[in-house]
Amino acid sequence: MAHANVLLSIRGLTKSFTLHAAGGRLVRGLCGVDLDVVEGTHVALAGRSGAGKSSLIKCVHRTYVADSGQIGYRTPGGGVVDLASISDVDMANLRSVDMGYVSQFLRAAPRRSVLEVVTNAARRGGIEAAQAAADAERTLAAVNIDSSLWHTYPTLLSGGEQQRVNLAAGIVVAPRLLLLDEPVSALDPASREAVLNVIAELTTRGSTVLSIFHDLDAMRRLADQVVVLADGLVVDQGDPEPVLDRLAATAHDLAEVAL
Amino acid sequence: MNALTVTNLGKIYGPGGAEAIAGTGPDTGTTVSPLTGAVVGCWDVSFEVAPGEAIGIIGESGSGKSTVMRCIAGDQDTTTGSVHLASLDNGATDILSLPPSERRALRVDQLSVVYQDPSEGLDLHVSAGGNIADRLTAANWRNFGQIRARAAELLARTEVPLDRMDDPVRTYSGGMRQRVQLAKALANRPPVLLLDEPTTGLDASVAAGVLDLIRDLLDETGVAAVVVSHDFKVIEMLTRRCMVMHHGRVVEAGLTDQLLEDPQHAYSQRLVGAARG
Repeated sequence: MAHANVLLSIRGLTKSFTLHAAGGRLVRGLCGVDLDVVEGTHVALAGRSGAGKSSLIKCVHRTYVADSGQIGYRTPGGGVVDLASISDVDMANLRSVDMGYVSQFLRAAPRRSVLEVVTNAARRGGIEAAQAAADAERTLAAVNIDSSLWHTYPTLLSGGEQQRVNLAAGIVVAPRLLLLDEPVSALDPASREAVLNVIAELTTRGSTVLSIFHDLDAMRRLADQVVVLADGLVVDQGDPEPVLDRLAATAHDLAEVAL
Repeated sequence: MNALTVTNLGKIYGPGGAEAIAGTGPDTGTTVSPLTGAVVGCWDVSFEVAPGEAIGIIGESGSGKSTVMRCIAGDQDTTTGSVHLASLDNGATDILSLPPSERRALRVDQLSVVYQDPSEGLDLHVSAGGNIADRLTAANWRNFGQIRARAAELLARTEVPLDRMDDPVRTYSGGMRQRVQLAKALANRPPVLLLDEPTTGLDASVAAGVLDLIRDLLDETGVAAVVVSHDFKVIEMLTRRCMVMHHGRVVEAGLTDQLLEDPQHAYSQRLVGAARG
């Protein structure tokens, strides 16, 4: 990539799913996505369900295996590696030190308290024990998790509380690249506000964010760039206001047609 | 450097050699050679494990996953391949080439195994303390007080009640036997630990407790671990990478969450589909 401070440079990314149980039927996910993410910025993916937003984020995280194309990632050392082709071991190491992934579903280990889940995430991020617990408490407070819940199991919490524990674990050590897959989909207004503030602060501290939000307001507030996907392709991108206005107009037209 | 390196491991049960391979494997759906009648337990299995890393091997009964483990452990002869430990001659020695006595000696402090059946890893007629003392004396511990203290420390860590320490292991419950096996396996701080279905057959709540203990021990000790299981929940909780075996071959290897969310091979998809209901 020409731009020196591009952290993520995706070219010609394709992803399909072969359903062997259905006679090898092929389901298309991504059909040739090109995308640059500049370091320290927040890029939000928009588009309807099934457009390929989650597939794109999961390909970057190697939770999905891309069919073809490159995912150029600038390492802290300044070199560029292709996340679509590096070894599983290299990818696992990159995940543990460099990359955070927060989905809308709880991914915490079972039978660990809320505080342990976040403290352990801090420990894995290289923070020593005493500091890790303090960082975990501070982060949980920041995402509006009441201290009365810190010593219960996350599985006992509400969906919205689980989402915030998940997020706290993902950001307690600010990753260089944070992948967010609908982190505020089940939150009440006060918690949503807290979480959006925390995410906004991440980019001011130097993290790069690639996100999926359902609500346009979150994108307007947080994103530096919005990229619209449809049928596995990038169909629009740019500054949030004009892109989201165009997206809203299209959605309106579609609704009219449906009526 | 990888703590454990396994290269092209193969095991054939029965007459003949590599000529048994043709016509076996996932493509033909059998492990029995049409040519020689020999059974291909596993073939062409290669992987590495770094210190502090846990790798999983998943597959159904008869897929060859336990054969791989037993070949590495030295519980059975291997037909072909090599196995290197970083802790032995800096990884220069293929442990499969060692004479049986030296091979057995590795089990003292280089390579430990936790079996599904505790009677394979423990002498059930000996006390928990005695089982651990046995492993310690093999590593030249001689002072009775020190041996006793180390055994008590290990049993306390694995949450075995110390007032049961002198009772024969056969009087213990299944979950407690597995805890004693873990204590014994880790007694001499081996760099490599093999776990073969360590929670299979235990009640769900007991299995959960043992699983939590294994997870904590892996974190604390930094041991390189190979976890063999048919249960995705175990693999998901303990490992970051895993391999799927079917009819004696590795059909897919990848990051554990990738294998669960985007399995590529037809058999992996079936396995994940069955686990997810």
